[in-house]
Amino acid sequence: MTYAVLSAGLLGTGSGLRSLGEFYLGNSYFGDYSAKSPEVVTSILWDYRGVDTLFETAVFFLAIIGSLTVFRLTKEQEEEVKRPERPPAEMTSIVRDVTRVIVVMILAVSASIALHGHLTPGGGFQGGSALAVAPLLIIAAYSKYALEKSGFDKTRALILRSVGLLGIALVAVIPLLYGGYVMQNQPVFPAEFGGQPLGGSLIYYNLFEFLAVGAGFTAVFLLLAIPEEKFKKILGVDE
Amino acid sequence: MSLLFYIGALLIVIGALCDFFGALGLLRFPNFYVRLHAATVGIIGGAAVPLFGVALLALGADFLPHRYAIAGASFVTGIVVLIVSPAGSHALAYAAHKAGLVDWEPEVDHLAGVEGDG
Repeated sequence: MTYAVLSAGLLGTGSGLRSLGEFYLGNSYFGDYSAKSPEVVTSILWDYRGVDTLFETAVFFLAIIGSLTVFRLTKEQEEEVKRPERPPAEMTSIVRDVTRVIVVMILAVSASIALHGHLTPGGGFQGGSALAVAPLLIIAAYSKYALEKSGFDKTRALILRSVGLLGIALVAVIPLLYGGYVMQNQPVFPAEFGGQPLGGSLIYYNLFEFLAVGAGFTAVFLLLAIPEEKFKKILGVDE
Repeated sequence: MSLLFYIGALLIVIGALCDFFGALGLLRFPNFYVRLHAATVGIIGGAAVPLFGVALLALGADFLPHRYAIAGASFVTGIVVLIVSPAGSHALAYAAHKAGLVDWEPEVDHLAGVEGDG
């Protein structure tokens, strides 16, 4: 990316870029009011077209709300759904041990994808999707009840998702307090901290999107993991 | 070009061959379990081994920018594939055996007496 800017944008050797592309390349890292992010895609997503991405997040939020509505349950039914009918069948110890190792790795990699989103390809949504694989693997190798017994149930997932969405909204309106525009990046947010580039507001957007997407997917996976017989029992439907 | 470069390139060629034989086995082998074996040959031989090859090749290529990052990422990915794919094949074989979906005539069946969750 830096090479592209240096060879095409700054040195001015006849580039094959269109003027809009040249503008994005030249202004995503250089320039006073740029996003200060070496990763052009992230600066376009969360800075130049930030409102677009905000509404994309809203669409995802609505999809989660929709699935929660389809699977809506009362408080007693929630408790009923958390009780296993019979001891849940688990995978063999080979699969369980490998899952235990891999889940830790997935957590680390997904956090790295999300928090490096302003430096390398990736970002909040991608990191969050990778994060959601960890509970999915636990559900497959152990059971949904093991995940809930360890303290991560649907309510917790929804709280985390709401924290993520609230964070995105707050980061979007904070510039208003400093006399800026909604979703403005520079110069409200610091471009770097301790010599490390932060990309201004990009890292906060990525972090909160990471939480919202990971927890939202986890909530849906937990709902989908409810056995069919439980729902038949709750709805009073016979075989 | 150093020796590492040539060893890496050789590993990638071995990977291509393993992929070829894995695909051939997947098409020609008679039942699910043996085909699963062919698929696993394709994953370990055709994905993990070439990844280690890429790591060595990157280390051996002096002209390559960021060669340590490339080598490290390839090596870690190779290790992950090496851990995960046998577990996946094992889970598939176990599930198929438990569900009894596959017709087979075994010469030896070590799991015949095993009941319940292993």
